[in-house]
This record gives sequence, structure tokens and C-alpha cells, in this order.
Amino acid sequence: MMTAVGLPPFWRLVEDHTDELLRHARRLVGNDAEDVVQEAFLRGLRSYPRLKNGDHLRAWLFRITTTTAFDHSSTRREIPTAELEGGAIEPTYDDGSFEAIIDELSEANRAAIRLRFVDDLDYDAIAQKLGCTNGAARRRVSTAIGSLREKLI
Amino acid sequence: MSPTEQFLQRLAAAAVEKGLTDVTYDFVGTTIGRLLVATTERGVCRVSFQQEDEGAVLDELAGKLGGRVVRSASATKRVRDALASYLEGDEVDLDFPVDLTLTQSKFRRTVLEHLQRVERGRVVTYGELALQSGTPRAARAVGTACATNPVPVIVPCHRVLPSSGGVGNYGGGAGRKRFLLELEGVLPLHS
Repeated sequence: MMTAVGLPPFWRLVEDHTDELLRHARRLVGNDAEDVVQEAFLRGLRSYPRLKNGDHLRAWLFRITTTTAFDHSSTRREIPTAELEGGAIEPTYDDGSFEAIIDELSEANRAAIRLRFVDDLDYDAIAQKLGCTNGAARRRVSTAIGSLREKLI
Repeated sequence: MSPTEQFLQRLAAAAVEKGLTDVTYDFVGTTIGRLLVATTERGVCRVSFQQEDEGAVLDELAGKLGGRVVRSASATKRVRDALASYLEGDEVDLDFPVDLTLTQSKFRRTVLEHLQRVERGRVVTYGELALQSGTPRAARAVGTACATNPVPVIVPCHRVLPSSGGVGNYGGGAGRKRFLLELEGVLPLHS
């Protein structure tokens, strides 16, 4: 199978980014980080032949890892006994994907959490993108994480 | 083995098991230095010597055979083990299927296919190989086909000698060519 010109050998991406992707996944799913990053790389391998060029591959890997982490959380989350007794639980999102999960956040918080966990930017860079202060960027991400936690756990 | 290495090994095994690789590769330490060995589902597609730029070799594999290049010890083990023992002088077969996709010229591929039939302990001249390949006057082009052989040792370009005498050129260096011919009993051992 031919690859688009400029795509590096996949294993180079694995060797260059495994450590930082594991750190990223640990923040999202704790001890399941290795399972999540392995699954993210396998998803990456599945779609690699269809990539058009080799730009932004690091951001691409972070995005897949984030999505995989959220999928993982939504299938593994524990259901509190009280809710079980209360009857069936209706998920409030469609397919468990990251975008579906963040759909109910405000636009500002949605943008902030995407920049933080999908694009893996630091707070200065997020503040610059959103045209707000570093503190405001932190608050938006923190609020977004708080809402997701309530929703997922 | 470090935790990261263990993780990489599990990942590679899962990728191979799920059929998500275009090329698998790994390294093997031998008497003629560290070799990179790469395989596809069709066969061995690349053997490279230590002095070749590893990054450039992997880039070429990704560009011509597909980007899903995965380092896997298990997928390449049979070939790596056989090469290591062959280069120790053991009587093992290196008759693995080869994938000559990296050789894009049809003529060069024909030459390499004929070269595969030259058995251990035998040698041919460039002119003889040209004749066997159906192009008796193309000895020089046969030389180029040998020089650009992507699978040295397994496709035995070291068994091709100039009619003028000596061992001639070799991608891995004349010293390695002489070593291989001594190992195969064609040249007397250096004292």
C-alpha cells in the first residue's frame, strides 16, 4: 500500500510521542493509560494510509488519544447504586465520542477544553487563541472538566 | 526491559496480530555488524548494513511500501535468527521469500531473481549473470542491479565477481564481501 508522500514511518511517531501520550492519557484515565494509548495507536494505524499529508501528526495523535480516553471512560464508568435503583439510565449523548460528550458545554468552555486536550496547548497558548487571560483560560478548562466529571461519573 | 519497551513490544504484537502493518523491521547483531531486517507479508524486503542511514532506510520503506512501518521483534525473528547463525558460519538456509518491490526496474528485478539461484559455495561473473538474465551485453547494468540490491546476503550479490579478478565492489564494503566468500568456502580463509 502506497503512502502519501511525506508520511514518516509510523514507528518513528510511536518512539517520539509514546512518553508524552502516556502522560496525557494518565491525566485523563489514570492507571488505564497504557491500554488507552495502545488503542489510540492502533486506531492511528487503521487510518494512517488515508492521511493526505504528514502535517500536524503530533496533534493528530493527541486528538486520537483524547477521543480514545473519553470513549474508554464512557464505557468503563461505574454506575452508582442509587441510579441503578432509580431505573434505566439515559445517556445524554449519542455515541460516547468526545465531541458528543462536550456538546452541552458552553461554546467558550468547549473551545477551551478542545485546545487543552485535543490540541494539547498550554494555558498561555489557549489564552492567546481565545483572546482572554491565562487565568480565564484555566477557569474555562476547569469548569469544563467539572461539568464532564458530573456527566461521566 | 523498561516499562516503555514493554509497552512498545505489546503494541507491536497487537499491530501485527490485527494485520495493521505494511512493513515490520528489527535489528540483529551479527559478525559483520548490526543489520536492519525488514519484511512484508510477501517476504524479506530489505536488509541494510550498519553504515547505512537507518532513518533514510525507514523513510524509503514508508514511501515505497506503506507508512505502517512497525518495529517487531517477533515478526522478524525467523529471518534475523537465520542471518545471525549463517554469519556465524552455520549451515542454515536463507531461502526466504523476498519482496523486491523496492527494486522498481523490471530489468534489475530479473537480475536479482536469477541471482537468487546462485547457491552457497558458487560464484558467477557479472557477464555470466547478464547472460543468464537474457541480456548478455549488459554486464555493467547487472553490476548496478547488484549494487542496488535491497536484500543483500539473502539475495547473494556477494557471489558475483568481476571477470578481471579480485572480489570487486560491494554495497556493504569489499571487506564484508571477502568475509562472506570466505565463510562460504569460495575464498581461502585469511590467515
